[in-house]
Amino acid sequence: MRVLSKSILLLVFSLTWLLPCAVLASSSDTDTLVLGKISHNPKKHYRYLKPMLKYAVDRMRDLGIRKGKIRMAKTKEQLAELVASGEVDWVTETPIAAAYLHEASGAEILLRKWKKGMPEYHTVFFSRTDGPVKRLEDLKGKTIALEDPASTTAYYLPLSAMLKKGLILEKLKSFREEVSADRVGFLFAREEINIATLVHKGLVDAGAFSNLDWDKEDHLPSKYRQEFSIIETLPPVIRAVELVRSDLDPAVKARLEEVLLKTEEDPKAAAALNAYQKTKRFDKLSVDQKQSIYDMYEIMNYVDQSLIR
Amino acid sequence: MYKILTLLMLSAISSAVALAAPDDPAGDPSDPYRDLVVDTAGGLEVTTTDGEFSVQLGGRIFADAAVYDEDKNALGNGSELRALRLDLEGRLYADFIYEFSVDFADGEADVKDAWVAYDAVYPWQFSIGHFKEPFSLEELTSKRYLTFMERALPNALAPGRSMGIGAHWSDERMSFAAGFFGDDYNDDADDEGDEGWGVTSRLTYAPWAEERSALHLGVAVSFRKLDDEEKVRVDTRPESHITDIHYLDTGRLKQSRSTTLLGLEGAWVSGPFSLQGEWIQAKIERDLGTEPTFDGWYLQASWFLSGESRRYKQESAKFARIRPLGDKGAVELAARFSSLDLNDEEIEGGSSEILTLGLNWYINQQIRLMANTLFVDNDRYADADGDLEPEDEPAIFQLRAQVDF
Repeated sequence: MRVLSKSILLLVFSLTWLLPCAVLASSSDTDTLVLGKISHNPKKHYRYLKPMLKYAVDRMRDLGIRKGKIRMAKTKEQLAELVASGEVDWVTETPIAAAYLHEASGAEILLRKWKKGMPEYHTVFFSRTDGPVKRLEDLKGKTIALEDPASTTAYYLPLSAMLKKGLILEKLKSFREEVSADRVGFLFAREEINIATLVHKGLVDAGAFSNLDWDKEDHLPSKYRQEFSIIETLPPVIRAVELVRSDLDPAVKARLEEVLLKTEEDPKAAAALNAYQKTKRFDKLSVDQKQSIYDMYEIMNYVDQSLIR
Repeated sequence: MYKILTLLMLSAISSAVALAAPDDPAGDPSDPYRDLVVDTAGGLEVTTTDGEFSVQLGGRIFADAAVYDEDKNALGNGSELRALRLDLEGRLYADFIYEFSVDFADGEADVKDAWVAYDAVYPWQFSIGHFKEPFSLEELTSKRYLTFMERALPNALAPGRSMGIGAHWSDERMSFAAGFFGDDYNDDADDEGDEGWGVTSRLTYAPWAEERSALHLGVAVSFRKLDDEEKVRVDTRPESHITDIHYLDTGRLKQSRSTTLLGLEGAWVSGPFSLQGEWIQAKIERDLGTEPTFDGWYLQASWFLSGESRRYKQESAKFARIRPLGDKGAVELAARFSSLDLNDEEIEGGSSEILTLGLNWYINQQIRLMANTLFVDNDRYADADGDLEPEDEPAIFQLRAQVDF
């Protein structure tokens, strides 16, 4: 018994010290393709990304690519640093993060990713049907719940739309905070279900997230949905994209594009696609579509500079 | 013992807290822990940002109490710690995952999962160590996520954990698992003879498996060559662990060469409603030339009054954690009927039927209160191998406070 307890103790100590040492020892090489993503849950995302990375690397051996590595960053700023320094070659991200990475590190959009089977999604604003908010302008002096400051459809796009309507936005720390009559107070609920619950209980006056969340029972239970009305729908945006660093070997870039485009027809890619956030396929975007994503950087700037904190 | 446990917890937590990076968007490049992510939402998890190394410390405490409305035999009201477990799991060098869990509930270290798996050939996974043989949906679903406090009567026939090697595969609809096993690590070897061995495999198919809607079908088979003592015993409590009474008991069946198990599984989830059922048959091949065959089944229904849905994980083909929708938690009503018959040929191990009514309150994702009322109906052979009055029909009321982290 004592031996066993001591063994557990030793194991915990060893592992907690082994982790940082392992990171310090790691480095990327020219024969390694590195796939990056912003993540606060690297354990989960590692399992999502690894099969697709392996699938791609296995089809690049003739180009000298022997190994695949995953590199997840806690913030978009960290990921941009890794792309700019050449430590990350390939990124899978949302459009708003893609816009930032393009601006901050020069990363280029390679393909669209039909994440969870969807090519596009859009923001929906909603409120209680029996409440006072029937349109965005009614939010003056009221509150809205959003997800977190990294979200495309549940932060940047809804805030940008409200700013364009001439609303003045103020960040609140809690739904208990008062907001003055000429402003709209917004707060972060962190998870979609929390947004729905805050609106359901009348603790905030409205919420915003994507149309996919609207249809998802885990994010919006039907008994809540029955009480809500959509008060505004924003134009659709691309669901997700694959990017590469601008100075990636053109042969590797071309092969990656070719390999990803063929996954839809390759039965051997089915397991990797499924793991890769249930991606249905990859397809090419037009120059205009890519530009519309890059232009989201202006939305980010506009939102970041217009807020009263 | 408790000093060591406390020290273990404190050391792990303080080590991990020291690893936490400051909240700086780009991070401090000179900080050696910049590339670690620490998560304390339920347990303690530390992961490198390349995902190649991770460690998670978790555990569970189940505090139970039971009151018996006795009929013919004394069962003994009481309370106990049903589970007192520490779990350590993680990933090493990208391709290897491991789990090590020990339960201290009965005052001794009872090794549960202790395995390492090779995880580089997605969607295959190859395991070696001490883990559950792939048999029975209810057995494979963690007790943390089961609808009722105890598994149903036919679980007495399921193999549980053994030392072994195994493989697991899954795609969008199906899963397959198979393994070659020795005996349970916790079984004492009390002679010089060879231990037994077994092969077990399970195939599942989910025609659909979406959030809040799933249909699960499964079949499993298992063959076990018994150890040199050639003894086998099937016995079980009346779905209540505080009593030590095992109404159903075949006694030690000597001159038994092997056992063959067959299991059928089904589960259906539609929003807040779910049904689940299994049938298990065990055939014992004896030197006497006889083949006593036992079987049992259960069917259960559950309904979340608060709207949640049981979460089916198609990849592993089992059920997972309930996530309450509102801040008052989730409330679930459930009922189960189970039956096990250990009477066949020369064996009179008894037969029993139990109806259970259950009420669960999931205060949040990690904390749950459970109340079960059981109505037991034993036959004339259900006498604990001759030690009890048969045809006992007690009612049982039992409660659990459960936390897992």
